[in-house]
Amino acid sequence: MTTMNNSLDKPVAAPVLAAKPAGAPMLAKILLAALLLLLLAMPGFLSTSLVNAAIQMLIMALFASAFNVLAGQGGMLSFGHAAYFGIGAFATLHAMNAVSGQGLLPTPLLPVFGAIGGAITGLVAGWFSSKRSGVYFSMITLALAELLHALAPHLKSVFGGESGVPSMRMPAWGFTFGTPVEVYYLTLAWVVASLALLFFFTRTPLGRLTLGLRENAHRLKFLGYNVHMARVMVFVISATFTGIAGGLLAMSNEAANYSVFEVRLSSEVVLNSYIGGVGVFFGPALGAAVMTFFGYAVSDLTRSWLLYQGIIFVAVMMFMPNGLSGIVAWWRASKFTGATKLGYVLAWSVGTLLCAAGVVFIVELLQRMLSDDYQFQLVQGQPWPALNLFGQAWLPGAVVTWLLPVALLAIGGVVLKLTSARWQALNDGEAQ
Amino acid sequence: MVAMCGKGSSSRTFWNKLMEFFTVSLLNGTIYGLLLFMVSAGLTLIFGMMGVLNFAHTSFYMIGAYLAYSLQKVIGFWPAIIIAPIIVGFLGVIVERFFLRRVHKYGHAHELLVTFGLSFIIAELIKLFFGNYPVNYQVPSSLNFAAFQLFGTDYPFYRLMMGVISLLMFGLIFLLLSRTRVGIVVRSAIYRPKMAEALGHNVPLVFMGVFGVGAGLAGLAGAVAGAFYTTNPNMALELGVLVFVVVVIGGLGSLEGAMVSSILIGLISSFAVGIDLSAADVLGYVGAGEWAQQVGGLLTLKISSLAATIPFALMLLVLLVRPSGLMGEKE
Repeated sequence: MTTMNNSLDKPVAAPVLAAKPAGAPMLAKILLAALLLLLLAMPGFLSTSLVNAAIQMLIMALFASAFNVLAGQGGMLSFGHAAYFGIGAFATLHAMNAVSGQGLLPTPLLPVFGAIGGAITGLVAGWFSSKRSGVYFSMITLALAELLHALAPHLKSVFGGESGVPSMRMPAWGFTFGTPVEVYYLTLAWVVASLALLFFFTRTPLGRLTLGLRENAHRLKFLGYNVHMARVMVFVISATFTGIAGGLLAMSNEAANYSVFEVRLSSEVVLNSYIGGVGVFFGPALGAAVMTFFGYAVSDLTRSWLLYQGIIFVAVMMFMPNGLSGIVAWWRASKFTGATKLGYVLAWSVGTLLCAAGVVFIVELLQRMLSDDYQFQLVQGQPWPALNLFGQAWLPGAVVTWLLPVALLAIGGVVLKLTSARWQALNDGEAQ
Repeated sequence: MVAMCGKGSSSRTFWNKLMEFFTVSLLNGTIYGLLLFMVSAGLTLIFGMMGVLNFAHTSFYMIGAYLAYSLQKVIGFWPAIIIAPIIVGFLGVIVERFFLRRVHKYGHAHELLVTFGLSFIIAELIKLFFGNYPVNYQVPSSLNFAAFQLFGTDYPFYRLMMGVISLLMFGLIFLLLSRTRVGIVVRSAIYRPKMAEALGHNVPLVFMGVFGVGAGLAGLAGAVAGAFYTTNPNMALELGVLVFVVVVIGGLGSLEGAMVSSILIGLISSFAVGIDLSAADVLGYVGAGEWAQQVGGLLTLKISSLAATIPFALMLLVLLVRPSGLMGEKE
């Protein structure tokens, strides 16, 4: 029983973070510089709505990275990170509105208040929740976030009730902060600086200790560390940077209401981080950016994005336990030639795409069939009229309509199974 | 002092009102607590046995409610109440066999995350099939009558029935676990899984069975309670958070702890809803009322409007004084 309670402290899978080969950094540095250049140049060739999407991606990437300090590095799975995100947002908004709308500090510095708000809430919440570890920790963080969510609508003076707290970005340092592009650069500067600090943190003694908290807290205790205090410190650092992310969102939206405390945001950061892969520093940021971008891209096309998000998450957890960034580690660890590996990756991708097409087809068909608009058209005793999907008309009563997605799923499944079996055989053959 | 207390009433009617408030809250609270127990029992049993915190547990509660709602339109209320939990139990078996068992090798955190993802998917599927609003699942008219009169008002029979069903359930599980051979195997699988396996028992099968039964229980609770409370896509989350609070307070893995803290939370919730008093009013008795009114914020909020937050406050208190929960083992 006792060992079971502590089971969450143990690593999810082989930790990739600790062992970075010495030869790789050069390539990584070049890639990072290229990415940074791309991010700097992006507003030049993007439309306004895409710039806004990029702002969201940056903020969610920072949020996921801050979350990962606790979840991935510290082994403490928090299900209530929306709380610190929300507090950061409101702290920033109140700082913006202070001094009759002039703001406590020049506009570009205001997310500092998000950091302070996040840190203070994180200190209190972290002190309570890290009294327990493992699943208890997860439940307590969730309950604390729900406490705030239940309380927020009643505290109108702080959280502004239903309408929320509105604000305005004031011009400062020669910028007006009136256009999305200026907000983009402000967000980019904060996110890059925060990510750099978070990366630096993993290199500090406390950062190394964080990994120890995940791997074996008992041993740390025997070595003389105050495990509770160490956990609280890690929690505070995570909450601080989460607060910055919240502050950035508040600045970009110029408003927030208590719905930021909803569990949806807390779960989103969990899903994003684990889809990206918590074993690598940039994994969660990658996952958050990719998922936010997809969310933005398909939001006009489907109403079932959240469902797809859940399915992607479970699929990743079941079949790719190290997340998207685990692919890189897999590529490096495997000793076969690039062409062989590429072939397998392609085969797996084809199988996955076929399965995905089948799932999307079924979900979209169901969604359209069950929508109120369509249900009102139905006449008793008459066959159901045709539905428009992907530029084609489909009869819900026809066998072909259902045979197609099932066939897609079946073929995709067979491709995946065969590829995996061959890969297994290849590895077994090599081992002998 | 109490919500129903009218101004200028004589002391006799005041006591009457107080007694009424007390009795009704006690009954409602106990029954709500029993319902909470029905859900948290499965959660705590599954945790005790497999070390898995099943995030999707209250999703089974929700599926139970929605299934019963759909079935009762076709086959009537009672058959629906019986069949829905069985289907939910099978769903639980599928989840254990095809999802949890596959990721078992990656550790408990991974299993927790998979159940979390499943709860997410289930909520979205419910929204897809039934819409993102409450459905009209109601107590059938044949059961919608007063059980007895309490201080001049009717007390609904259905509420009483919910209490009786959960008590029956508790009794059955208790007898099953403590008096039968199956119960002995299950308890040994909980206590020392490796040893039980070494003695030739099929522990994975036991795990699957308990997971199914736990899910089925949650489904039964949903099927029964969904008709009385609202059935909406958020019910899993709302109850889920409360059930987590219950098991943190009671101590995970302990059935008795779950029972005690379920009843406790049920009582506190139902009493708090009726108390129309704020911290400022209390401070008023010691002469600090004016000051409290000026400070505002938390101090002027009525306890009744804070009812939803009180279980969380209680949880924090328990964490402060007894981190392992009322009946939990020390870490």
